[in-house]
Amino acid sequence: MTAEPTATASTATAPDLPGMPPAAVPPRFTGARRFVRAFVHRPAGLAGLGILLLFVVLALIAPAFIGPDQLDVTKVNGPLLHAPDGSYLLGTDQAGRSVLLMLVWGARQSLEIGVIATVLTVVIGSAIGIVAGHYGGIVGRALMHVTDWFIALPSLPLAISLAAVLGQGSESITIAIAVTSWTATARLVRAQTLAVEARPFVERARALGAGNRQIMLRQVLPNVMPLILVSSTLTVASALLSEATLTFLGLGSPTQVTWGEMLHDAFFNGAFTADAWWYLLPPGIAVLAVVLGFTLTGRAVEHVLDPRTEDTR
Amino acid sequence: MSSPVAVAEPTAPAPAPASRTRRLRVPRPGYLAGKLLSAVISFAVTLIIGFALFNLMPSDPVRTMTRGRPVSEAQLAQLRVQLGLDQPVWRRFLTYVNDTLHGNLGYSWEFKQSVGSLILERVGPTLLLMGTAFAVSVLLGLWLGMRSGWRAGSLFDKVTSATALTLWSVPTFWLGMLLLVLFSVGIGPIHGFLPTAGMSDPTLPQSGLRHYEDVARHLVLPALTMVLVVYAQYVTIMRSSIIEEKGAPYLLTARAKGLRDDVVRRRHALPNALLPSVTMIFLHLGGLISGAVTVEAIFSWPGLGDLTYQALTVPDLPVLQGTFVVFSASVIIMNLLADLVYRFLDPRVRAQ
Amino acid sequence: MVLRDRRRLRTKLTAAGVSGLLIAGPVALATAAGAQAAPAGSGSTLRVAMDSSGVDTLNPFLSYYNGSFDIFGAIYPSLTEIDENGVAKPYLASSWKLSADRLTWTFTIRSGLKWSDGTPITASDAAWTLNLIMHNKIAATANGALVSNFSSVTAPDATTLVVRTKKPQSNLTYVSIPISGIPIVPQHVWQSHVADLKDYKNDSYPIVGYGPWKLTDYKTDQYAKLDANPTFFQGAPKYDHLIEQIYKESDAAVAALKAGQLDYIGGVNATQFASLQHAQGVTTAQAAGNGWTAVEVNPGARSRSGKPIGTGNKALTDGRVRRAINEAIDKKTLLAKVADGQGQVAEGYIPPAWQQWSWKPSAGQEQNYDPAAANKLLDEAGYKKGPGGIRIDPKTHKPLSFRLGIHSDSSTDPAIATYLVGWLKEIGIKLTIQPMSMTALNSDLGKGDWDMLMDSWTSGPDPSSLLSIQTCGTLPDDNGEGGNTDAFFCDPRYDKLFAEQSTVFDPAQRAKVVGQMQSILYDADVDDLLYNSTTRIAASSKVTGLVTGQARNGFYPAQTTFWSYLKAAPAVRSGSSSGGGHTLVWVIVTALLMVLAGGGGYAAGLRRGGVDDRE
Repeated sequence: MTAEPTATASTATAPDLPGMPPAAVPPRFTGARRFVRAFVHRPAGLAGLGILLLFVVLALIAPAFIGPDQLDVTKVNGPLLHAPDGSYLLGTDQAGRSVLLMLVWGARQSLEIGVIATVLTVVIGSAIGIVAGHYGGIVGRALMHVTDWFIALPSLPLAISLAAVLGQGSESITIAIAVTSWTATARLVRAQTLAVEARPFVERARALGAGNRQIMLRQVLPNVMPLILVSSTLTVASALLSEATLTFLGLGSPTQVTWGEMLHDAFFNGAFTADAWWYLLPPGIAVLAVVLGFTLTGRAVEHVLDPRTEDTR
Repeated sequence: MSSPVAVAEPTAPAPAPASRTRRLRVPRPGYLAGKLLSAVISFAVTLIIGFALFNLMPSDPVRTMTRGRPVSEAQLAQLRVQLGLDQPVWRRFLTYVNDTLHGNLGYSWEFKQSVGSLILERVGPTLLLMGTAFAVSVLLGLWLGMRSGWRAGSLFDKVTSATALTLWSVPTFWLGMLLLVLFSVGIGPIHGFLPTAGMSDPTLPQSGLRHYEDVARHLVLPALTMVLVVYAQYVTIMRSSIIEEKGAPYLLTARAKGLRDDVVRRRHALPNALLPSVTMIFLHLGGLISGAVTVEAIFSWPGLGDLTYQALTVPDLPVLQGTFVVFSASVIIMNLLADLVYRFLDPRVRAQ
Repeated sequence: MVLRDRRRLRTKLTAAGVSGLLIAGPVALATAAGAQAAPAGSGSTLRVAMDSSGVDTLNPFLSYYNGSFDIFGAIYPSLTEIDENGVAKPYLASSWKLSADRLTWTFTIRSGLKWSDGTPITASDAAWTLNLIMHNKIAATANGALVSNFSSVTAPDATTLVVRTKKPQSNLTYVSIPISGIPIVPQHVWQSHVADLKDYKNDSYPIVGYGPWKLTDYKTDQYAKLDANPTFFQGAPKYDHLIEQIYKESDAAVAALKAGQLDYIGGVNATQFASLQHAQGVTTAQAAGNGWTAVEVNPGARSRSGKPIGTGNKALTDGRVRRAINEAIDKKTLLAKVADGQGQVAEGYIPPAWQQWSWKPSAGQEQNYDPAAANKLLDEAGYKKGPGGIRIDPKTHKPLSFRLGIHSDSSTDPAIATYLVGWLKEIGIKLTIQPMSMTALNSDLGKGDWDMLMDSWTSGPDPSSLLSIQTCGTLPDDNGEGGNTDAFFCDPRYDKLFAEQSTVFDPAQRAKVVGQMQSILYDADVDDLLYNSTTRIAASSKVTGLVTGQARNGFYPAQTTFWSYLKAAPAVRSGSSSGGGHTLVWVIVTALLMVLAGGGGYAAGLRRGGVDDRE
């Protein structure tokens, strides 16, 4: 059992059936319009996307109505740890800041960390996966061994000591997440690369004299892209959970406002004792909503791209 | 944070088109020996990475441990010698390797006892918690996955999948806290009936039936927290496998023979659908021992996860290095077993 | 078809039955165990939360953690004990005499006391313990510093202990006191363990000792169980059993207190305190703060030989910059907003818990919150404001931009730091907050790689150790190794006074010397003391006596667990404890129901979608 379900990129995808040689032909990338039409027919996916859009929009427009004064403990003058009322819809925290505003601002910070960590994870994982799948032989096996080594590393001590070495804060959390999660993507991409390379058009390209780099970039990558896309949405989900966990454990910067930091503050400053449910519940529900959004969207995308993975009779 | 999905792969990947790249076919002494060798190398590499990382951490264990106490110059110097901090890093590494190879996991700076005995003290509670949660998750997840996969599209399936998905998306520690409030603090007029912290009530006898009841009572909330968040993985994987299997021709034959639906499911579809889950189970078993740090912290469960976390604050390097050895070994051994068991179980792979 | 339905029905019933059992099971267990939750054995039990630091080891020669000290104070005797005024009183030693040359102390050991295994306690136990620490490097791990001035310790007979010191030592009666001093261990038990002292865990229960309590069981990371010692010379404790339980989550401890599962928590945070003041069945109290919170400023880190080390900003070597920083901090606001008003603004270096050392700056010496004066001071010193309003150092032409290191696991550091950033900006100084773990912060501190750091210390009734961390003797060597300095403060006048105060035996006179030392520190502005927060105590209304002494200004004297646990007594039965958390619980139930409903709605939505797909 993983220590908290962190960075399991493909939990909700149908597994690339282990043991089965990836002989089944992966679906070609359907045209964009067909994709959209198919996606729209899946209410779960739409719901997920809707949630995401809501949060992304909130995150983007946040600076418009949240100035630095409202989050600065020295400038606010709200009542301390006060229950929600007319002027503070979600109440206030121990310093008198509005929890609602912190929640919106936290969306911005948390999503930023999640997305950047995911980009890092996916880039590293895909690069290694494609190279390992393409080259095979000693290089390929060596890369897979490296992947195995990283899988064997206990993730939480690794993340905490990384954060200590790099200095606490969102940068080290981002790097820690990337370092501990890229392996899942790597293995997935490698398996997919092997499947793609088994197809005739790749052999044709090789016969025509295409070099390694060209094959990897022009033939493999576009066909692996859909899988990477699906994997990314699910990686963001687990990156967000990881961020919440790592910040909760105290690795974040206490001066930043992220959902994980709000939960950390709530727990370690006694909000639980003070029955301050307005401080405890919203960040957790927000994390839940966004993670769910990404997961639903990812699954819907996956179903569209590969109808086999959907419920069939 | 290992992937539950990217599991054991067969030794030979997709059959390579003939005479493409020149592959060096090294004659292997044997599949098992090869796997063992790579396991040992993995182990060695993880030890090196662990040692490097912990020793790179900016830290001052002597000051951190003695903070708030009056300590003389001589005491500090003595401490530094005692902890081996006066030696260069490479010498400490060699001592570490030598000790590990002899089975000596070191001596905790904080707890003044051998790391081995420290781990033995704490491993019981962790395995109890993680083992129980794991067993329940697997059984519950596989059962739910099987039923919902078999009747894919039904209301049961939808509700199961939705609930599992939602619960998987919840931060574990937050869920733990909510459960703590709900069941320990109380719901309205009914008082909470479960304990708030710890593994047992010190006022009760520490052995016998009452003790087991007491520990079981303390176990409910932390285990429930873990189960709720983890079982979804098994539901998903089982469900997909069953859906895959459902379309297989041999099931059609079984049905044509007149077998009842659930017999078909139980005796024919299930064993084959179990294969991917088995590998996942082994992989998760590897990570079992490292415990769930946040759950142990929230419920004051005296386990290994919490020990590691505490050791990171000093930092108590021997404990960190020692537990690193144990955790990595566990994962590597389980990965190895997963490979072997899968190879043994899946006739298709065996045939290769 | 009919066959299939019946089977399905049976399966459904089985499923219902199983789930019913799964729910009923724990409830049954809970009620069963709950009904039998009376303490094992007869008698009353006092349940307390262990100090959050926990226990590292039960070997008093090796231990550093407060949780362990509390236990040692309860199970091992010491020569003297400290009363509520911070004065040493007889314990194992019934009286003592000081020789004319002030170098020889003669203690009369109380006769008739026995260790818990029946062996008489004699002066040789005390002599053996102290000698071991003096001569055995391993045994000196925990308390070697306390005996560094001893030249010899002998026990000429069973009731006489003679301690000779190298130099006169005024605080000798504070060396062996419960909890923060050296505990006396039974020689006949420990003699055989000297060879393997490093590995001896002292874990055979019940531990042979003498004190108000006897340790009968200890489970690592879980709890310690103690039984009262009915023959304790000051009277047996009023409770028959004492249980110290470890709570990793302070909120869990508070929840247990509210639920009646716990009787005493020695320190809760401000939010918990505010909430507990309204809780039923709980009494709260504040004890005068025995520590301070400060922000320290690097005055120019250098080694013992004078060599500058580290990357501290040179501008801070200028006393005027440091003075300006101190005058720009509004300590009253910090106390009100961060500590919830629970405490007092700090002035003297020695915390207010120990009234005999209290010191106040004189009229002209005071440094008040005065940003205008701070700005004026910096202007006149030549630090002109540059772009962005940040002042430029005229010597290096670099802006006054400093790093402020804070403890990432502290709940108050981030809040204080944010205030400091704002206030220092008003006087033209830029602060960058660097959160780090305690150990990383200590590492930077020792090497001099810091500009400003959050700092906090507590002190026992004898100020020597708190004063010692500001002496030149604690500076590191040229490699940055060794040393135990707090802020690289080094002033020969201070060191002279430090040496003097340890030889002054008249308390009033000694207080005067200590006062002069506090004055030097105050003027130096190296440790900008912010406030002394009180120790917030919460206890069950069913127990009295946990908080002892007379309240002064609403603050009780500092409580040591030695007295608290000894004097605690069951109160007259009061009302049942509160359930607590009603609103919170209802909201959570609603939230969970919404989550599940959402899941169900999603399922329903899927159903429709599924039908479309399946056409």
